[in-house]
Amino acid sequence: MGTLIIDGHLDMGFNALYNRRDLTETIQSLREREDSLKNLLGPYETDPGTVTVSLPELRRGHIGIMLATIMCRVQVPWPGKPNCHNAVRTQATAYARGQSHLAYYQALEREGEVAWIKTLEDLESSVAAWENPTPETPVGLILSMESADPILGPDQVAQWWEDGLRAVGITHFGANSYGHGTGAPGGLYPTAYPLLDAFADTNMIIDLTHAADTAFWQILDYWEGPVHASHCNCRALVPGQRHLSDEMIKALCERGGVMGMVFVESMLSPQWVWDDPRTHCPNATRAMKAVVEHVDHVCQLTGNTDHVAIGTDLDGGFGRELAPTDMDTVNDLQKFLNILRERGYSEEDVAKIAHGNLLRLFRNAWSK
Amino acid sequence: MLIVDSHLDLAFNAIQINRDITQPAAIVRTHDHQSSLYRWGSATVTFPELRKGRVGIVFGTVMSRIDHTDRFGRTGMYSQAQCYGVGHGHYSFYKAMEREGVLKFIHNAEDLDAMVAAWQNPSADTPFGLVLAMESADPILDPDHVSEWYDRGLRIVSISHYGNNTYAQGTDTEGGLLPRGKPLLDALKASGIIVDLTHTTDQGFWGILDYYDGPVAASHHNCRALVPGQRQLTDEMIKAIVERNGVIGAAFDVWMLDPDWKRGVLGCDQTTKATLETVVDHIDHIVQLVGSANHCGIGTDLDGGYGQEQSPRDLNTIADLQKLPSLFKKRGYKDEDISKILSNNWINFLKKTWSR
Repeated sequence: MGTLIIDGHLDMGFNALYNRRDLTETIQSLREREDSLKNLLGPYETDPGTVTVSLPELRRGHIGIMLATIMCRVQVPWPGKPNCHNAVRTQATAYARGQSHLAYYQALEREGEVAWIKTLEDLESSVAAWENPTPETPVGLILSMESADPILGPDQVAQWWEDGLRAVGITHFGANSYGHGTGAPGGLYPTAYPLLDAFADTNMIIDLTHAADTAFWQILDYWEGPVHASHCNCRALVPGQRHLSDEMIKALCERGGVMGMVFVESMLSPQWVWDDPRTHCPNATRAMKAVVEHVDHVCQLTGNTDHVAIGTDLDGGFGRELAPTDMDTVNDLQKFLNILRERGYSEEDVAKIAHGNLLRLFRNAWSK
Repeated sequence: MLIVDSHLDLAFNAIQINRDITQPAAIVRTHDHQSSLYRWGSATVTFPELRKGRVGIVFGTVMSRIDHTDRFGRTGMYSQAQCYGVGHGHYSFYKAMEREGVLKFIHNAEDLDAMVAAWQNPSADTPFGLVLAMESADPILDPDHVSEWYDRGLRIVSISHYGNNTYAQGTDTEGGLLPRGKPLLDALKASGIIVDLTHTTDQGFWGILDYYDGPVAASHHNCRALVPGQRQLTDEMIKAIVERNGVIGAAFDVWMLDPDWKRGVLGCDQTTKATLETVVDHIDHIVQLVGSANHCGIGTDLDGGYGQEQSPRDLNTIADLQKLPSLFKKRGYKDEDISKILSNNWINFLKKTWSR
């Protein structure tokens, strides 16, 4: 039997509604269907990659709890990706797409596929259910948001909280409604501060992933509540603004934050330069042991194993091709835990990384 | 003259095609990437164009269905949970527009009266009136879910759209109501929701009319006597709708106007002979058939996944609907009948339905 794993970052709603994946199906049936569609791709369509995440697969891998995103941002569509689902022209559309992700999760809850975690009680009951899971045990869902654009203003925060939103990244890629995200040079816009004030009236956790450097420090400076980085690797190992510098990691951990390790070539390979498509290889070159290097780095830097978690992002716009080479589906996260064990991590440390550190983050945030 | 358009897919354009429809059509056309222009055509429907055309009241759709073949529109799905997600997103777009003051939901006869009054002398920012419609009932997860949708404002629902949907077979298939269709119709009846007969199969059309004794209409539908094909209404169907006091909205998609239009070939790759006169031909056919102008309306569908290239060739944007009154006049229509067709038939139908 596997160890309970919490995946701190999955874009389930995006996959269901943009890639038209019925996530209650098995990986095998999704793959068979998509293989048959691959040769029909139009000139401006991007291949979503071979699917690695579905609900039955999460259950098989004992990934009993996930942070599932609302994902849509205001950004000029990328060249070559004119119809990119998560970059839209107006905040009204971002709200609508964000609501569509929310509604999909609500429909999954209605079907008993997921168990919504909104309170400490919900969290403990999901953890308990996964101590002796059956093949039908629902996957615990904590709602997160990648870029705050779907929140139309501070007055909407209370409704989003009530609907279950528990962790929010202020920005994503580019210049978004509330500030600059990955790839953009600046920081927060003035509208971000009243939004943060509204979050302070709840027990919301701020996700520092995808904050531009200036925005990262501005948020930490202004926001006194809980923080984490749901899916970030180390800039010391892989250069680029998308990753956290050692100073950032220290600052995050001083605030009790947790950093989720990402399982994608673009965040594991120093050869991959975000802004230079010529460096973007079609197939991964790194195995899961490359992720362990990032785990080691954070643990050495902080002197403990209290701040590392898993935030795979495995369905974040790429597929098996760019996942670690020894990974077929999200189910293989259990193999990753074995690699940690082989590298000398104690069973206690493995449990912290697999679920304990994120549980602590939520228990602390929600017991106020 | 106020116009009511009983079928627009505004939210689909904003969300799936990623258009800022608060901008003039000319601006949206510059925004659209050429792949978008080619697939979806040049935009004809945006809020500024609706305002120019005095299209003050619209039925705006929630549009998603079980349909495995829809690879580009991304509204055809594999499960109802996905359909609900897409549908709720469409609804949420209209709520965001309401928040910005662009439109107001019409929930009842009082809201409708206020909106009609506001559009007698509209100002530059008079909000549009929105009647929430649904094209294929798949986003309704089960009959218990109808009341939730009603509370959001849903007032008219077609049971099917294209393909093998949840509650009934849709356009381009055979067969009619499916086993889950009748309990859904019962729940729609209990809520007083109008059943839209557009996009039924022939068997579905008669099956619904036979089973459902609540209000019915056809939001965007032309005449099979003029353009052959399952998508159009036969004369018998038209008479049956009229017997039930329904209204039929004339559709402006040239696939439904021009018998020579080639389906499956994109609008940019062919040219139609259909004009606004052709639309008037369809409306006139119904008027002659039933002996009155009391059952015709306008349900353009002009943003239904195609653009100017697949619209009547003398229509650049939806603002050109204001050319219709003079076309009807030329054919001898009285002013009173023209305003019935352009707005009053739908207004009266909704008021009658909602005062029951």
